[in-house]
Amino acid sequence: MNWAKASLEKVEQTRTERMNQSAPVISDDEAQNLIREYHPDYVGNERKIHVGPNADSDPFPMELADLLESDSPIPKDFVPNIDIETDVLILGGGGAGVTAALGLADSGLTVHLATKLRLGDANTVMAEGGIQAALGKDDSPRRHFADSYVGGHGKNDTGLLRHLCEEGPAGIQWLTHLGTLFDQNDDGTFRFRKGGGTSTPRVLACRDYTGLEIMRVLKNAVTSGATHVLEHHAAVELTDDGKDRVTGAVLWNTQTGKLVTVSARAVILATGGSGQLRLQGYPTSNHLGATGDGLILAYRQGCSLVFPGSHQYHPSGSSYPEALVGQLVTESIRSAGAQILNVNGERFIDEMTFRDVVAAAIIREVVEGRGIETPTQRRGVWLDTPLIEQTKGKGTLAHQFPGLIHRFKRYGIDPVTQPILVYPTLHYQNGGVRIDAECRTERTGLWAAGEVTGGVHGTNRLMGNSLLDIIVFGRRVSESVPQNLPERGAVTLSRLSRYREELSGLPHTLEASAPQLYPRISGMKFELKEIPKPETGTETSPGTAQSFEPPDPFASR
Amino acid sequence: METKKVNITVAGKTIQAREGETIIHALWQSGLGHEIQTGCVGGVCGACTVTLRFADGRQGSTDLACLRPVEEGMEVFPFPVDALASPPPVSDPNEDQLRATFPTVDRCTKCDNCTIACPMGIPVMDSVLRMQKGQLEAVAEDFTTCIHCGLCRAVCEDKVLPHTMGIWVRRSLGMSVDHPVLDQASKAEMSDREELEWEHLLNCDDEERLKRAKNFRKEGTIVL
Repeated sequence: MNWAKASLEKVEQTRTERMNQSAPVISDDEAQNLIREYHPDYVGNERKIHVGPNADSDPFPMELADLLESDSPIPKDFVPNIDIETDVLILGGGGAGVTAALGLADSGLTVHLATKLRLGDANTVMAEGGIQAALGKDDSPRRHFADSYVGGHGKNDTGLLRHLCEEGPAGIQWLTHLGTLFDQNDDGTFRFRKGGGTSTPRVLACRDYTGLEIMRVLKNAVTSGATHVLEHHAAVELTDDGKDRVTGAVLWNTQTGKLVTVSARAVILATGGSGQLRLQGYPTSNHLGATGDGLILAYRQGCSLVFPGSHQYHPSGSSYPEALVGQLVTESIRSAGAQILNVNGERFIDEMTFRDVVAAAIIREVVEGRGIETPTQRRGVWLDTPLIEQTKGKGTLAHQFPGLIHRFKRYGIDPVTQPILVYPTLHYQNGGVRIDAECRTERTGLWAAGEVTGGVHGTNRLMGNSLLDIIVFGRRVSESVPQNLPERGAVTLSRLSRYREELSGLPHTLEASAPQLYPRISGMKFELKEIPKPETGTETSPGTAQSFEPPDPFASR
Repeated sequence: METKKVNITVAGKTIQAREGETIIHALWQSGLGHEIQTGCVGGVCGACTVTLRFADGRQGSTDLACLRPVEEGMEVFPFPVDALASPPPVSDPNEDQLRATFPTVDRCTKCDNCTIACPMGIPVMDSVLRMQKGQLEAVAEDFTTCIHCGLCRAVCEDKVLPHTMGIWVRRSLGMSVDHPVLDQASKAEMSDREELEWEHLLNCDDEERLKRAKNFRKEGTIVL
């Protein structure tokens, strides 16, 4: 990283002095001003939409507004003929969906789980830092509530938040019974980390692979159960009974290109977030499928969205090398003592305050010219990882943050000796589909859990509250569905027809279709393959392999 | 700054890519995203497993397309590995139970292919040998970073199922740990004090609640 030599020297020079320096704390008012001035939610890249339950009220990010005013990719002459009949259809194969499936295991109900990618290919598996639960000695669900409520700017749905905090310990117990391993102290007690905005250590972790640990356990548990898993099946529309009830879904098989209609007595929306919409051109820490599909589907059914304009930009997304741009650098690295520094090697914000404040502060440094520019014209600030080795002892990074080391070492960067460059990355959808305490949406037959929902986190989520969210509400939805299960209803697309009529009344027509399903940048999109098409664009240069058979990578060993 | 271009071949299709980008990003640029199954794009879901051949005659290898930077003349072959349902974990696992559940554990012929194939740098073969000796705590540690891409299993000619055993060991050990703090937290009835704290936080308007929550964070309780 010779291009940043001068700045890195300053970081080295100031390190000893910074070791015992207290964090630059700012007042609540200053923090609010910082957010209003620099947080991407407040730059004004929003507009109102003119259809559906939130019409002409809340402002939506442009990208989401366009999708909500776009047509479905389903052909207008498509008539849903039931291909699969089930009791419960779960849409989404991440933490919330799989938790719900496991919760329904003993319900006696037939459960199908459809996921656009494979089971577990979701934001859950990418979560690094940890999961909150009030288990520490100076802690309580009330304290957890207070931290989350202040972090969420007092906008949180207090009923949902109380459930989140009160049911945290039981959620952890459920996970440990399934065999999840959380980091422990030498005496066998849980090791708690601090998260940004937690007033006491409350975050349980499995190194910097907490989401991976949880997701692989959930996935392993569900694959040996009775859930029918439909991988590579993207939900493209919900069906209704001709009135106000949700009765199933139309799925698109991404491999065969065909539409599949499912009739279900209950549909659980667990489709996750929308980081891949890449609002305002921000990079994202999210997986390939995070395109807000569930928001579109629920909205067309008449479900309103809470805080649709609120997104979390994680303060530390990787900014260099180019191949890792946007990828998450866990907050717990700051919890362990890594400081955030500008081009002059100076601290400028308390690294452990709330995420939106830290993100806004980083953006301010860069906007005011105190950032570092990469050879690919990206900007960022330093995260002084080597400091941890000095304050917490040699080997700390390798032991507690193996994921960080593994990823950066591929690109010749060793976080043990070399600070890494970070900049906010689009990380989490704070808002989403409105639910009640039983995870019911405003439509009978439709439940929702996890990142697709809105309210519990207010307008800013705390670290470790999303993994807890999917566990607590994944469990709650699995309890609510059997108790409130409607009879099977007709499977029609009457809601879609009505929505299409509303769309035709708009002054503008948008060309894109929604749900988007894949990031625009990927060039991947919805395509029906009912009619075989001639293959084009598969030119190969002479001498290259024409075979699709993978070679044995070990043939020559 | 001008970025150097390189040519790579993916599933028989030659594309131009920018030096420094990953195979997945190169595919996206060329409109061939569907060629390789993709999930998290962050190296932890294991969807985008590929095998690689290099122009300079280096030995081929396996890797994750989302983390692998492109290089001139690289040939990439999609190598998806299907997940496998695994036997349920058991409480207080030991060597005998592991052997009974996975009789193939002793088949290992020590070719070390699994270790070479692992994109996470796990010492897979050594860990299989530790499984044979019943060193389960060490095995659990070995598989801490396992993303269950399945490559170790796919390249194992002896059908030893390394990562499947890895999660079986981890889950079995995890299930066997007692956590008194969890039993306590889930059994306890709510005390008057706790009810009072909830009332204090809930029974007021939003503005007042924000104030009360801020104070609550300082002391961790209500100061009466």
